[in-house]
Order: sequence, then structure tokens, then C-alpha cells
Amino acid sequence: MGNVEFEKIKRPENIKLPYMLDFYPLEDEKNTRISQFFKSLREGRLTTTKCKECGNLLWPPRIVCSGCLSDKLEWVDLGVEGELYAFTEMKAGPPLGFAQDVPFCIGMVKIGSLLISARIDDARYENLKIGERVKLKIVELEDGRVFYRFRRIN
Amino acid sequence: MRKVAIVGGGATKCGKREATWRELVQEAGKAMFDNVDNISPKDVEALLVGAAQPERFTFQVHVAPMVAEHLGITPTKVIATTELMCASGQAAIRYAWACVASGIADVAVALGVEKMYMPNMAEAQTNMTCVLDREWDGVNAMSAPPFFAMTAQRHMYEFGTTKEQMALVSVKNHHYSTMNPIAQFQKEVTVEKVLQSLMIAPPLSLFDCSGITDGAAGVFIVPAEDAKKYTDTPMYIVGSGQANIGNAINNLASISEWVPLKLAVKEALRTAKISVNDIDIAELHDCFTISEIMEYEAFGWCEKGKGGEFIEDGEPYIGGKVAVNPRGGLLGCGHPLGATAILQSIDILHQFRGEVPRGRYVKDAETAVTHNLSGAANVHSLLVYSRG
Ligand SMILES: CC(C)(COP(=O)(O)OP(=O)(O)OC[C@H]1O[C@@H](n2cnc3c(N)ncnc32)[C@H](O)[C@@H]1OP(=O)(O)O)[C@@H](O)C(=O)NCCC(=O)NCCS
Ligand SMILES: [Zn+2]
Repeated sequence: MGNVEFEKIKRPENIKLPYMLDFYPLEDEKNTRISQFFKSLREGRLTTTKCKECGNLLWPPRIVCSGCLSDKLEWVDLGVEGELYAFTEMKAGPPLGFAQDVPFCIGMVKIGSLLISARIDDARYENLKIGERVKLKIVELEDGRVFYRFRRIN
Repeated sequence: MRKVAIVGGGATKCGKREATWRELVQEAGKAMFDNVDNISPKDVEALLVGAAQPERFTFQVHVAPMVAEHLGITPTKVIATTELMCASGQAAIRYAWACVASGIADVAVALGVEKMYMPNMAEAQTNMTCVLDREWDGVNAMSAPPFFAMTAQRHMYEFGTTKEQMALVSVKNHHYSTMNPIAQFQKEVTVEKVLQSLMIAPPLSLFDCSGITDGAAGVFIVPAEDAKKYTDTPMYIVGSGQANIGNAINNLASISEWVPLKLAVKEALRTAKISVNDIDIAELHDCFTISEIMEYEAFGWCEKGKGGEFIEDGEPYIGGKVAVNPRGGLLGCGHPLGATAILQSIDILHQFRGEVPRGRYVKDAETAVTHNLSGAANVHSLLVYSRG
């Protein structure tokens, strides 16, 4: 075929997980106006925003109340315990970055009027029960970001 | 508002396809134009492309012009992609319908497409995990199977629904898909087989779940007054309902009852001026077996909590109270997100024309609905079709 050139080219073998393929939110003041939520998490406190005008408790945390559109919100503590409303276990089909944890439990945790979805650690599906009490747990990523999970109390 | 008709359409075979996104579009586009004699690409004034996640599954945005280019369509009135996750195809039909009903366009195409198989399936699962609120729900690996697993768990807990009852939905829909040559899965399953299939997210096993699917399909939408120019057997869009409540898990109306579906059904029946008992065929969004059970209840074919008994009694089979998913459903046909609603509507057209195999033919059907849910079942979309 005459003198057509063939060349093997190189590309980097490993690329750092891009932020937008990483499920965890960006937490600092440069990226979000609810960075207080993550600061509190770092202190072991689960908080959210409450509307000072209409009293709505908002989850996830907001900067504007979806009930009355007021922007006068305050941070309130949700405590560190909740009740398991529903749960399952991821046994197949995990997204990127989760395979090493399979199987793991996922649940909906009832805290007052809120239904918060979260990983449920230290548990297998067979042993969990609807209505069971679970306790807040904080996980920290390699880059220092934090997130909440729950775990069995017993 | 003008009355609107669908006058023809075409689709690809669905499943794990050895074809790219744009090749699926070309296959479906050709099938669609081949199906109607006197519409050529140059006649198409409005093009709506239902595509849920082309930017993730094929790393391509601005896809409607790409579809237009590949099919030789040069829209002069309206062109856009419509995204509503699992209901993206129905969104395309709805906008095409609105374009034609309003008089903006006289010939519109709604084409839906999804290429979901990827060399690394974990990447495909990643795409499916940004559908719920990614930063607060998705972050917990909350893709569709775990969410609907918890929905099923609550339904079992509150109403006593059983895994066997859920499995019956899979048995029915796989039965009908054996008679659908473009379906992804064409093998019968039994209750035992469903119960013994690989556990995905308890209580849901593999055969309780629709699959990962490649596929595309398109339909022509024109004013009813022009319909007979294109075919002797058009079908008409006679009603619609769509409702949304909340998005993140905390903000849904309920986990075990789909309130927005009840609202959408009410609106669809009101606009079509029919009662629920007038529905002969219902193509419902059975993304998971529990979904179809909750849909029987929300439509009102049975009491709340009695969806499991409804299928035990054979009521959603052809010849029962209402024929649910005689196409084979998402469980049997697969669920190529953006294409699903278009595939449902083409099958209704074939039903009305008597062009489906005998074993899944609903004789004398006059009225049909197609339904798609999306997200955490927080959005429900419905269209009502009529033969006459
Ligand atoms: C359930 C799920 C995780 C399984 O993924 P997986 O573990 O990668 O499984 P595979 O797709 O490889 O399927 C395994 C086998 O079962 C078959 N299969 C999968 N689903 C099936 C079904 N519903 N009926 C019959 N067979 C099925 C496949 O063809 C495959 O057979 P093969 O091994 O002979 O090729 C995946 O299909 C999924 O995510 N489904 C849900 C899709 C979704 O969320 N859609 C949106 C809904 S709202
Ligand atoms: Zn308020």
C-alpha cells in the first residue's frame, strides 16, 4: 500500500474519576450555597433547612422554600437516629465505583416527616426489618468530602 | 385544536444490537418511510426526537439534527430532542401532537431511540443512576432496580402482595412477547423460573426487571382531516393526561401508591370522554413487575392493594377485564428508553389494523391507552388512541 504511515499512539492509562461521573456532590463554598450542611456532617450532625416563613422542613436542603418561595431559611438538626421505612440490597448491576461494595444495603430512613434515602451499613437484607431503628454514620472520601449513611443499632 | 392522527411508523428489532446509535436511527427511519407511501423526508415539517441519555450512552448531544441529517429530513417548523427519561418517546409524540393540533405543522415525525449496551455495562448502570436526584438519591447507588425493589417491599408489607403474584406479570408479558418478532426476549417464563432467576435487588429478581435494550422507532403524525391521504387505517389521538408530583424520594406523594398516575388517568379519561371500562388495550409501563400491579390499581380496574389478585384471576389477559401489554410489555420487549412509547403506539396501530399474530390479537379493539412512567414514578404520561 505504498508509503502510508502506521503509528501506535499513547493515551494516559489512568484518568482521575471526573467529578461529574462521581456521585458525591461538590461541597465547599466555592461550589454550593449549602456547604453548611457538609460542615455540620463533619461534626457528626445531620441537618437540613427549614423555612422561617411557612415552617416547611425541606429535604434535600435548599436556598429557597419550595412551599412559599421565601429565601429566609434556617438550619435545623435532625438528630442522629431514624426508622427504616424500606430497604433492599444491591446484588447486581452496580454503577461505576460501587462494584467493590456489592452486595450492600440501601434504604429509606424515616426521620420525623422526612424520608431520606441512604446506604445502610453493617447489614444484610435478610437481617433487616421495616421499622428498625438505625443510626447516623459519616463516611469520608479520599479527597476529604463527607457524606451520610446509616447503620444498624444492634 | 385540530384532531390528530398517526398514519404509520416503523421500528428496529430491539435487544442487544450489533449497531451504533446512528445505525438504529437509520434502520427505524427507513422502516418508517417504507411504511407510508406518500410521505417523503422533504415533507416532514416537524421532527421530535425522543432520546433519554444520548449524551451518556453515546456521548453525543444535539441529536435531533443528526437524525434529520441521516434521514434526509429538513424541518422547517420545529426540531428538538425531548427528554423525560423512560417517557422521552411519549414526550416526542406529545410535542409532535401539539405541533400538529395547533396548526404549526402538517406533517410531524416523532422518532425515539436509545443505544444502551456499552462495552462496560457498569458505565450503562452509572447512566441509570443519575435519573433520581443524583446528589441525594443516586449517590446511594439508587438506580431503578433498588428503588422499585423498595416500592415492591412496601406494597408487599402494606397490602400482602406476594412475589408469586409479581412473577405472574412477568409470565404474562413474556408469553405475549414470544409472538412479537421485534421483542428482545422471546422465551416463555414460568413462576418458578422468575422466582429462581438471579436476585438483582430483593424482592426483585432478573425476570422481574425489564432489560438493557437497544432500539429505535418512529411514527408520522398528521391532522386527522389529512389522514386518509396517507392510509385507509389511521388511528387517532383522542385523549391525554400527564402529571408530576415531586422528584427526590422525600418529596413523592407516596411510595406504595402512584398518586400522579391516578391524576393522569382521570385527565386522560376526561379528555377522551370515555370511562375506564371503555379501554380495550392498555400498553402499560411494566419496567418492573410491581409497576404493572400498581398500575391496575391506579387505573381503577381493581381496588387499591388488590393488583396481585387481579393478575391471579387472569383479568389483565386478552379476554379478561382489559388486555394489558399484549405487545409483550417492557418485560418482554425490552425498554430502549426513548423508543419505548413509540414502539407501544406502533403496536396499537398494528392491533387496530389486525396486523398482529393471532395469539396476541385483541379482536374488535376500538380504544387503547399507552402509559409511561419516569423517574421515581413521580411522572406519569398517558395517551388515548382510537381506531375511528
Ligand atoms: C436487571 C439488570 C441489572 C440485569 O443486568 P445484568 O446483570 O447485566 O444482566 P444481563 O443484562 O447480562 O442479563 C443476564 C441474562 O438474562 C437475560 N435477561 C435479562 N433480562 C431479562 C428479561 N426481562 N427477560 C428474559 N431474559 C432476560 C439476558 O438476555 C441475559 O441472557 P444471556 O446471559 O443469555 O445473554 C439490568 O437488566 C437492568 O438494569 N435492568 C433495568 C433497566 C432499567 O432500569 N430501566 C429503566 C426502568 S424505569
Ligand atoms: Zn416557606
